Amino acid sequence: MTRPLRHSLLLILLAGYTAFAAGPFVWVAIMSLRTTTEIMADHFALPTIIHWDKFPTAWFNSNYNVYFKNSAMIVLSAVVILTIVGAMAAHCLARYRFRMNRVIYFILFSTIIFPPQITIISLFQILVQYGLYDTRVGLIFVYVAIQLPLTIYILESFFARIPADLFDAARIDGYSEWEIFWRVSFPIAIPAIATTVILNFILLWNEFLYAVVLITDDANRTLPLGIQRFMGDQLEDTGMIATGLMIAIIPVIIVYAFFSEKLIQGMTAGAVK
Amino acid sequence: MAVVTLDQLTKIYDRGHAPAADAVSLEIRHGEFMVLLGPSGCGKTTTLRMIAGLESISSGTLSIDGQVVNTVPAKDRDIAMVFQSYALYPHMSVKNNLAFGLRRRAVPRDEIERRVSSVAATLGLSQLLDRRPHALSGGQRQRVALGRAIVRDPKVFLFDEPLSNLDAALRVSTRGEISALHRRLGATMIYVTHDQVEAMTMGSRICIMNGGKIVQVGEPLEVYRHPANTFVASFLGNPPMNLLRAAVTDDADGRGLRIGAWRIVIPAERMPALSVGTEVIFGIRPEKLSGTPQPGATSIDGEVVQVDPLGAETIFAARIPDVDKPLFARVGPDVPIKVGERRQLGVDLSAAHVFDAQGNALHP
Repeated sequence: MTRPLRHSLLLILLAGYTAFAAGPFVWVAIMSLRTTTEIMADHFALPTIIHWDKFPTAWFNSNYNVYFKNSAMIVLSAVVILTIVGAMAAHCLARYRFRMNRVIYFILFSTIIFPPQITIISLFQILVQYGLYDTRVGLIFVYVAIQLPLTIYILESFFARIPADLFDAARIDGYSEWEIFWRVSFPIAIPAIATTVILNFILLWNEFLYAVVLITDDANRTLPLGIQRFMGDQLEDTGMIATGLMIAIIPVIIVYAFFSEKLIQGMTAGAVK
Repeated sequence: MAVVTLDQLTKIYDRGHAPAADAVSLEIRHGEFMVLLGPSGCGKTTTLRMIAGLESISSGTLSIDGQVVNTVPAKDRDIAMVFQSYALYPHMSVKNNLAFGLRRRAVPRDEIERRVSSVAATLGLSQLLDRRPHALSGGQRQRVALGRAIVRDPKVFLFDEPLSNLDAALRVSTRGEISALHRRLGATMIYVTHDQVEAMTMGSRICIMNGGKIVQVGEPLEVYRHPANTFVASFLGNPPMNLLRAAVTDDADGRGLRIGAWRIVIPAERMPALSVGTEVIFGIRPEKLSGTPQPGATSIDGEVVQVDPLGAETIFAARIPDVDKPLFARVGPDVPIKVGERRQLGVDLSAAHVFDAQGNALHP
């Protein structure tokens, strides 16, 4: 096979994959600028009039500003707690030799395999008992709990690869264990921490199941629940759903763009000398 | 400068297992360069880490300048350590790596600045202060690791095989730099290595360890010339000392040895009093064998089985009748030797060593 032919085949393959991956996104983006009536007339048409006004309408009239603020508050708080607590736990599991170390690690890690439906009833009961049901704080705790094992798993494997000599050098330099964590371990693990920040942010920003079970009050709803409000039994406001989806997706794109370089570093760390 | 005293220092990791360091007793004097030498797993690094405060001490006492420091944390022992992996903080510049220890000790900012600049100038790092460790070569990283120890101006310097990650040429030059540093600072230094060349060239004294225990302590040449046992004899020297099983004969009033079919008489000043028939081990350094024996000197007939011309010298091995191991000899580069030829080897018996059957040196 000649080289130009090989390149052409590769390009066709890549173009096909890009269309497959990006197509639905582009479609929703186009629908977000069309009204529901226009969409019903022709699902795949390009907008004849671009309805930018749908965004402020969704933001103010359809309560998206409240859902957005709730999502931002809940997800950012959960990600900050997850990052700090997860990094500390991972550092301890990777760095210190203590009895039951691997048992604790295995128990934490094994919770990853449980489907969310198994834990949701007990979490519901716990939140009701502690007066945290239908509160944003309650949902933050739940989000931290469900994402902590994966966070620890990713960070532990990274921390374990940091040479022990670095910690010994810092101890001889006069630093306490607490300072060593903040001034040596944590900065070195930034690529892995960026990976967990992105993963947790995206997963929690789009999280629906726990939110729909544990939040009922409209003032506490997150964006995925807000979008769902436009899906009725009889009719759906497809245009507004698309606009809401675009509003919801923007922070994810910003976070990804900001951290993507670190994400790749984190995923490939150790692969190359 | 400081005196470091180890008294019966022991480290047991797992009960029921042999101690990693077993009752190690040693005094390292003011300004001395002490090398802990031994094969992997002999306990030298464990001993160094106990001195550093990075390993707890199972039993025994460790003192620095007469003060017992068994329970004193590493940071309060006033020591600095250079690690095998250099242990540079990868997220910090060279400058911050050098200053990291001083900042914790609340040294004034301008004093830190002055010390870092001075050390960087001494080690040729001035142009590299803003670089991160990953942008440095192995030799430069090694110098930063050295600088990080020097800048602290500690009582004791500890080195844990600091040259083992360098290539051969760089190892030679860095060896010289560390020796020069020792002469200039006059500080007490403890250096762990498994490389006998480093030990011989750098150490004021060498402490040879095996199986967690000290085998012999002494000045390099003294240890080389008078090994306490066959372990030291075979660990120092390349090729190591030739060690052959022998039995005492009644020649020359019991000074004769029979090695296979070969009979020799050891000079009185080298031969301990032993009864006839005693099993011993005869030792002779390769450089005490020659390819062309002097007339009248002791010699033996051997068949050359291996020749390694190294340029500055030639090392060859010769098999002698009824002895299972070949003898290694080190001769000048111009001695013509071919594999397969038979030749007479001269043996300088005034440098012979006699060990008992357990391998301990015997003296007259």
